[in-house]
Amino acid sequence: MLDYVYTGWGAFWVTMFMFVPFALMAYWVIRRKSLVDTGPSQLQPGEFAPIEGVWLTFAFIFFVVANLASLKYIPWAAASGGTGGEPEVQVDFTAKSWAYDISNRQIEVGKPVRFSGRATDTQHGFAVYHPDGRVLFTMLMMPGTTKPTSAVYTFKEPGKYTVRCLEYCGVAHHRMQDELTVVKAN
Amino acid sequence: MSIATTIVKNTPIFGRMFAVDKSTGLEEINAWPALMIMSSFVWLVVAGLLGLVMPATQIFDLSSDHFYTTLTLHGAALTFPFSFQLMMGVGLHRSGGCVGKAITGWLPALTWLTMNLGAAILTVAVLMGLKVSVIVMFPLPLVGAQMGVWSMESVIVGFTGIYLVLACMILCYPLLVLKMMFFGKKRQELILSERSLNEPGMLGMLLAAATLLLTGLPLVVVGTTLVLALYKVIPMSLAAWAADPVVFQYTFFLFAHNLMEAMALMVASAMYATLPLYLADGSRKLYSEKLANLALWVLLVTSVTSGLHHFITFYPNQPAALSYWGNIMSWGTGMGAAISIFTILATIWQHGLKPEPGIIAVLVGWALYILDGASAIVTSNIAWTYQLHGTMWQSGHFMTVVLSMSLMWMGVLYHHYPVITGRKLDAALGSLYIKLMTVGSFGAAIVMLAGGAAGMPRRFADWHPEGWMLYGNLILAFGLIIGASFAVYFYNMMKSREISAPMGELARA
Repeated sequence: MLDYVYTGWGAFWVTMFMFVPFALMAYWVIRRKSLVDTGPSQLQPGEFAPIEGVWLTFAFIFFVVANLASLKYIPWAAASGGTGGEPEVQVDFTAKSWAYDISNRQIEVGKPVRFSGRATDTQHGFAVYHPDGRVLFTMLMMPGTTKPTSAVYTFKEPGKYTVRCLEYCGVAHHRMQDELTVVKAN
Repeated sequence: MSIATTIVKNTPIFGRMFAVDKSTGLEEINAWPALMIMSSFVWLVVAGLLGLVMPATQIFDLSSDHFYTTLTLHGAALTFPFSFQLMMGVGLHRSGGCVGKAITGWLPALTWLTMNLGAAILTVAVLMGLKVSVIVMFPLPLVGAQMGVWSMESVIVGFTGIYLVLACMILCYPLLVLKMMFFGKKRQELILSERSLNEPGMLGMLLAAATLLLTGLPLVVVGTTLVLALYKVIPMSLAAWAADPVVFQYTFFLFAHNLMEAMALMVASAMYATLPLYLADGSRKLYSEKLANLALWVLLVTSVTSGLHHFITFYPNQPAALSYWGNIMSWGTGMGAAISIFTILATIWQHGLKPEPGIIAVLVGWALYILDGASAIVTSNIAWTYQLHGTMWQSGHFMTVVLSMSLMWMGVLYHHYPVITGRKLDAALGSLYIKLMTVGSFGAAIVMLAGGAAGMPRRFADWHPEGWMLYGNLILAFGLIIGASFAVYFYNMMKSREISAPMGELARA
């Protein structure tokens, strides 16, 4: 369940989870108090206080839970505790308008891979897409930094994974693509 | 007659919508705001037409050059000379009437001139070939010139335009607001609805002006250094520190992120000031002014440093601690929104609401802003940003925040329009505008978020892979509905000339 929540579509549904109840409540309150029962409420100001407390407490708890549950899906946190003793495979890359130079384009399923890259001219992205079109992770590289940008990812399925630049980098930005091949482990 | 009144009067088509009614005796708080509002709508029309070019390049397989040209112009025109200028115009008129101070002299003139001249110069630069998107993507302008993709002249012209726009937003406008609030003589005859800084309607204006000024000053220093070097006033070696991409990006986003938050503060304060005027029981009171002020303070305090979420996927170049900080502060803005939601709905529940088009438009804009806020805090979470950064989700967030604030200001303008022009608007057309805008804006926002969730990249001149064209077509469809709603809004203003005579002193009521 959580594996789905912390994906792109999970983000969409969590956003809707926050928005739709608000929209329905706002519509109901505005419609009722402007068209159905426009008179002042019988509720005394003090009687709003418990609702206020419950609402703000719910919002706070939801915000805390959503963020705490996300911790294990942060790439660097996952890398520090989730490689299960497997040594990381290092893949270095350089991004320059409008191509990548990648040290190794063939990767094995189940092996944690550390992608480390630099941009040499302007800002570039390095987003790895699953063969079904989802973004697995994305990175931002800026020229002039002291360290390479870095993320660790463990591929679960073999296939052809597209790499795309997701930071606008000029007139051929949309052509800045590459491919990684993920194969079954020996 | 004010220069501003003359310019409005002599402008074709749009001049008819915003001709200042001098019989109200309020020309001193109406003239420059009317000119700013009129100019903002001219830019809106330009931006809207440019927006159509982007899907057209996809549908008809036109050159990607057209896509990136219009991408840059569309975003820049919507954000600065439309949205920000609309906010300036309506906000200045509103505060003028709250504090009883005239908006006259060289400062409002300079504010209008820097924004519009800057935007026009930037447009020329983009037409010369500079395609750097609305957020400049530094050091792309210099790299593009080095690669011969565009000329160094276009970079110099573009930076000049950007510099003037920034000077308007960071210096001229905030100084104008601060001058109105703390200096000059209050004149009773200019007061429409007197308010103090203890009230959320004025507090938000002040917090926003201070935010723009303080968070923008580092960018002014960096920008001034770069512009002086481009014009060879100082050697490039002295500007090398400012041209460092990391320095530029952090100062840019410290301002750019807070620009959006400042605009949110301003529009929230305008809503806190406008809603009480439409309460059914005539009480003219919010559920709690203290709670409303608390929401503004929470938004301010949390948002100042939440912009660090822009660089989360830059790890380890941005320390993890700063990413966590940006994550936490971004969700802190959500607490400000939660307080605001309760204050608004409790106010309506407590006092009832007169459902006139102006306040309903404000509330629709506010609901869109809440949708945007939800999408914004989600994408500020570190785990989610690794899935969403650079996708259409971000464009959806940016478009929605600009659109929601513009809708709220257009609703507030609906309220103030009779005071500025002395004419009444048609309620049926107002209602049609709201219906179209609600369908168009929520539809476009949700489709753009869904496109991002599906991995559709932003600022990307190829919507064909992975089935992204479906999202592109839906964005176009909802965009056309938004365009239709704006057309109805403008038609209402044109028609107002025909349905009512000049209102004179009645406008004050």
